[in-house]
Amino acid sequence: MKRWHWIALGLLAVASFVTELLTPHDPAHAAHWWNTIPGFYALFGFIGCVAIIVLSKWIGMLLLQRREEYYD
Amino acid sequence: MTELLLLPPAIPMIVGGFLLPFFPKRMRSGAFLFFPLYSLFIVWTLPAGIHTIIPFLQYDLVLASVDKLSRLFGVIFCLTALTGGIYAFHLNDRGQQGAALVYGGSALGVTFAGDLLTLFIFWEIMAISSTYLVWARRTVESEKSGMRYLLVHLFGGSALLAGILLHLQTTGNLVISRLEYNTGLSSILILVGVGLNAAIPPLHAWLSDAYPRATVTGAVFMSAFTTKSAVYLLARLFPGWEILTLLGVIMALYGVVYAVLANDIREILAYHIISQVGYMVAGVGIGTELALNGTAAHAYSHILYKSLLFMGAGAVLHTTGKSKLTELGGLAQAMPLTLWLYMIGAFSISGFPLFNGFISKSMVVSAAGKAHIEWAYLLLTLASVGTFLHTGLKLPYFTWFGESRGLQPSAVPINMHIGMAVVAFFCTMYGVAPGLLYGFLPFDVTYEPYTIPHLVEATQILLFTFVAFWMLRGKLAGEPLIALDTDWFYRRPAPWSRRLIVATTDRLFSFVEEKAMEVALSLSRLARNPFNLFRSSASGPLEDYDPDKERWPLGFFVGAVLACIVVIAGSSLFR
Repeated sequence: MKRWHWIALGLLAVASFVTELLTPHDPAHAAHWWNTIPGFYALFGFIGCVAIIVLSKWIGMLLLQRREEYYD
Repeated sequence: MTELLLLPPAIPMIVGGFLLPFFPKRMRSGAFLFFPLYSLFIVWTLPAGIHTIIPFLQYDLVLASVDKLSRLFGVIFCLTALTGGIYAFHLNDRGQQGAALVYGGSALGVTFAGDLLTLFIFWEIMAISSTYLVWARRTVESEKSGMRYLLVHLFGGSALLAGILLHLQTTGNLVISRLEYNTGLSSILILVGVGLNAAIPPLHAWLSDAYPRATVTGAVFMSAFTTKSAVYLLARLFPGWEILTLLGVIMALYGVVYAVLANDIREILAYHIISQVGYMVAGVGIGTELALNGTAAHAYSHILYKSLLFMGAGAVLHTTGKSKLTELGGLAQAMPLTLWLYMIGAFSISGFPLFNGFISKSMVVSAAGKAHIEWAYLLLTLASVGTFLHTGLKLPYFTWFGESRGLQPSAVPINMHIGMAVVAFFCTMYGVAPGLLYGFLPFDVTYEPYTIPHLVEATQILLFTFVAFWMLRGKLAGEPLIALDTDWFYRRPAPWSRRLIVATTDRLFSFVEEKAMEVALSLSRLARNPFNLFRSSASGPLEDYDPDKERWPLGFFVGAVLACIVVIAGSSLFR
C-alpha cells in the first residue's frame, strides 16, 4: 500500500460520510434504529471485521484446530 | 421440426456425457461445448408449461416442467457448464469430461423435474457423477474423501426418498409444490435430504471436505450444481418456512468463521459457498416475493462469481501444484492476468458496486429489512464483511502478494484464462446492467440496487473492513493446521466402527465357520464308522470301519435281534 492509495481511500471515506449526511433520511426507508447513527456502517465494518478475526481465531485455538495428520 | 429437437433439457448433456468418451482426443473438448449449448437452446426455447410426460405405474413422470424459476436456474446451469468446458478445454481425461457433462445434465434434470420421483432419479445421478470429479484427482486423499462424499450423499438421497414415499402415502401425489409448514416426518425427511445438498449445518461437512480435494476443473463444476440445485428445490418446496431464515443466517456466519481458520485456498472458497448459500436459504425462509427473487438472483450471481473464484484458485494449483496459503505467496508478478480475473470474482462476491454480487445479495438483505427481521439484516451484513475479508483480501493477499516462496509457476493454459474472462464479463455485465437479470426473476417486483444510501452503506463497510484487515493481517496468515468440523463425527469414529462392524463380523463368521468345519469333520468320521460313537478317543486313535474286525460284535447284535424276532413270532403263533 503506497501513500496515495491511503489518500484515495481516505477521500472515498470522507465522500461517503458527506453524502450520508447530505442525504435526507426518508422515514419509509430509514426504518431501522441504526439508520439514524451517522457512520454506522463504517463502524460496523471495522468492528465486525476485528470481531470475526479475533473470535474465529479464539474458537479455533480453543476448540477446533488440530495438526494436519489428525485423521491419518 | 424444432419441436422434435426440444428434448427435456437434461437429455442432451447426460447423453452427451456418455457419448463423449468415444470422441477422438482432438475433438472431445470441442464436442463437450456442444451439449451445454444445445441444452441452453432448449431451456431458452421451451414454452412455459409441462412437457414430456412418461407414464410409470399409475403415475405420470414429468421430465420438463418449465416456469420462470426453473428457466432461470436452467440457463445458469447451462452457461456455467459451457464456461467450465472452456476452462477445462486442455483436459484429456475421458472419464472426467464425461462425468462433468452427466453431472451438469442431472442438475438440469432436478431443475426441470415436475414430480418427486423424476427428481429423485436425477438427484442420485448427480451424486454419483460428481463423486467421480473428486476421484479423478487420483490421490489417496481424494479417493477417501470421494468415498465419504458419496456415502454422505447416498444417506441424504435415502432420506429424500423416504420422505417422498411417506409424502406419497399421505397425500397420494408426487407433484412438486410448496409443502405446508408442518413437522410431519415426510416433510422433515425431505428437508434433511435437500438441506444436506444445500450444505446446511450440521449436514454441510461433505462440501468443505471434498471440494478442496477434487480435480482443478472438477471443483469448478461442483461449485455450481449441487448446492444451487438444492437451493432451487428449497425455494420450490419450503418458501416461508421460518426455520430456514435462522439456518441461513447461521450458515452465512458459520462459513465465515471456518474460512478464517482454513489454510487451503479452495477450502476457503468452499466455506464461502456455505456462507453464500446461507443468504439464499435465508431468502427462502423469509419467503416474501422480494426475498424469493433475491434467492434466485443471488444463486444466479453466485454461480458466476464462485466458478470464477474456483477457476482462479484452480489456475494457481494447476501451475504451482500448491494450494495452501502456507506454501503460496508472491505470485502476482508471475500471473497478473489470473490475479485480475480472480479479483473480479472477489469484487463480485464481496458486493462491490458495479459487480453482480452487489445487485443480488442486497435483495435478500433488503427483504430481511422490509420484513422487519432486523437481526437477520445485521448478521447477514456481518457475514458480508467476512466474505470480503477472506475471498477479497486474505486469499489474494497471501497467494499473490505476501511473502514470496520462490515458486516458479508454469504457464496458465490459454483456455483457462478465456473461460475466466467470459465469466468475469458476465459478473460485470449483470453488475452494470442489473435489469438483464431482474427481468427474468420469478416475481414482478421492482427493486433498485443503486440508491445513494445503499452505495454509502457498501462503501463504508468495504473501506473499513479493509482498514481492519490491514491492521490485523499478520494474524490471518495461513497456519499448517486443520479445523475440526462436523465430519469429525463420522471420520473420527470410523476406525472403531470399522473394527466393530467389519472386524467383529469377520471374527464371528470365521469362528462359526471353524466350528462348522469341526462338526462336519467329526460327523464324517462318525459316518465312516458309527462304532466310534461308543469308543472314547482316550483308548487310542479312532479307526475307520473294518468289516473283519467288526464282524463278531455286529454279528452278535444282528443275531440277537433275529433271535428276539423269532421268539416273538413263535410265541404269537403258539398262543
